[in-house]
Amino acid sequence: MTAADPGSFRDPASRVLIDADRVVRVLDQRGLNAWKALADSQFFSNAVSDGQVIAATELPDPPQGESGALEHPRVPMITYPYEWTFSMLKDAAMLQLDLLARALDDGLTIKDATPFNIQFIEGRPVFIDIGSFEPYREGEPWIGYRQFTRQFLFPLMLRAWLDVPFQPWLRGDMEGPTAAQMRNLLPRGKRSKPSVMVHVGLQARMEERMAGEAVRDELQQAGFNAGIILANVEKLQNLISGMAWEPGADGWAAYDSCSHVGRDRETKAGFLRHAMSRHRPERVLDLGANDAYFSEIASDGGAHAIAVDSDESILERVYKESAGKSMSLALSELANPSPDQGWSGVERPSLFARADADLIIAYGLIHHLIYSASIPPSLVVGWLRRFDCPVVVEFVAPDDEMVKTLTSNKHDDELHPGRDEAAFRKLIAGSFDIASEKRLGSGTRVLFQLAPV
Amino acid sequence: MIFGYLDPGSGSLILQALLGGIAGIGVAYKAWKHKRMTKRLTKEGVDPSSSVDDPSVTAES
Repeated sequence: MTAADPGSFRDPASRVLIDADRVVRVLDQRGLNAWKALADSQFFSNAVSDGQVIAATELPDPPQGESGALEHPRVPMITYPYEWTFSMLKDAAMLQLDLLARALDDGLTIKDATPFNIQFIEGRPVFIDIGSFEPYREGEPWIGYRQFTRQFLFPLMLRAWLDVPFQPWLRGDMEGPTAAQMRNLLPRGKRSKPSVMVHVGLQARMEERMAGEAVRDELQQAGFNAGIILANVEKLQNLISGMAWEPGADGWAAYDSCSHVGRDRETKAGFLRHAMSRHRPERVLDLGANDAYFSEIASDGGAHAIAVDSDESILERVYKESAGKSMSLALSELANPSPDQGWSGVERPSLFARADADLIIAYGLIHHLIYSASIPPSLVVGWLRRFDCPVVVEFVAPDDEMVKTLTSNKHDDELHPGRDEAAFRKLIAGSFDIASEKRLGSGTRVLFQLAPV
Repeated sequence: MIFGYLDPGSGSLILQALLGGIAGIGVAYKAWKHKRMTKRLTKEGVDPSSSVDDPSVTAES
């Protein structure tokens, strides 16, 4: 059944409809005119063949009441900027600027500048909102400049210059920080940078002084032109290309140096391959993916892998090696995944509403939920059951070396009961059949392949 | 005429002219001057569209 994409409603000229396996964009007359101009441009055919803009095919018979309709290939997994790493947002920003510059050279412009219009396909950012392109009208300023600073530039500044993660901010306020908020956040030493003085300080001041004043016509009459936008875009490209974030060596980035990881890795890989051959999944959701080793196995086995992890430093590394792989990355705490949010609570669906899968990998995960996040084992099993598909899960016993580390400052009576293997087997018995199991060399870890009952 | 669905922010629009090099600075100044004159004339009860080109009216006055 065809349904409106709940996140596609702000632009009256262009809206997306979704059904089981088709993505159709419907256009009003203004949207259709813009599409015709785009479709006729050399810019568009080059950008599509370069993989920078999603392909679009005009449908001969638009739905009733619509002036035009396009069909797009389906994006394997929609992710949002608050689930991206620093380099993902940086690459998306550079794509946005590059497309704007090239569009302007061909008499077109992009009427907004939000990372929600960009998705990652096989490790590369791709611009998916065809409806954002329209013919450039002489004298028009760059309407998306403020949005670009709030949703791309300022979040990148937070990470690159303050080493503060931008994702919690963008998740809490999807419009991004304002110039005035950035001015208050940046220390005095940073405020004297020329780029901060203009994009942050001056913008904040001018926004305060000129709020609500109509200036578009004045700019047009004063001789504004595309060359001015291009000069600004070039400066932003230079600024952003010089931004860098070096993740620390702590946390999960050092995970693969843990003794159990190397020792058990190939056994776990073989167990996963066995589950893959049994279920032939099209989509595999790797929960707590870490360095995405098992996601890659799923991807190599013909599935699209969705690697979810809460550690930005390690996902950053995975992203830089993900080009060409059938894999999507999502940065999210599993004990607090991205929720439904935005307009009416449905505009941006929750992570797990988007990450539908037909096989779940939960290796090296549930003991962290139980012992670190204090989630009762029964709730963890119930959560895995709600994915309603087979699961490969690693059970870790209370006497495992990692569990001892996780609980080194906790007394036994501060932990939820029912954490041993017998209790775990009892818990899963009500929700899953055990299709196969394998005890790992340590003796404290058991792999289960579970099928929902 | 407003064409877009996005609020671009008045101050941010003028700022981007300033960021567009020497040509942009000239455009920003002209737009700002025009804006100031329009505001002043409106305050004085004069129709800005009929007087904005009057050479006797200056932004500095």
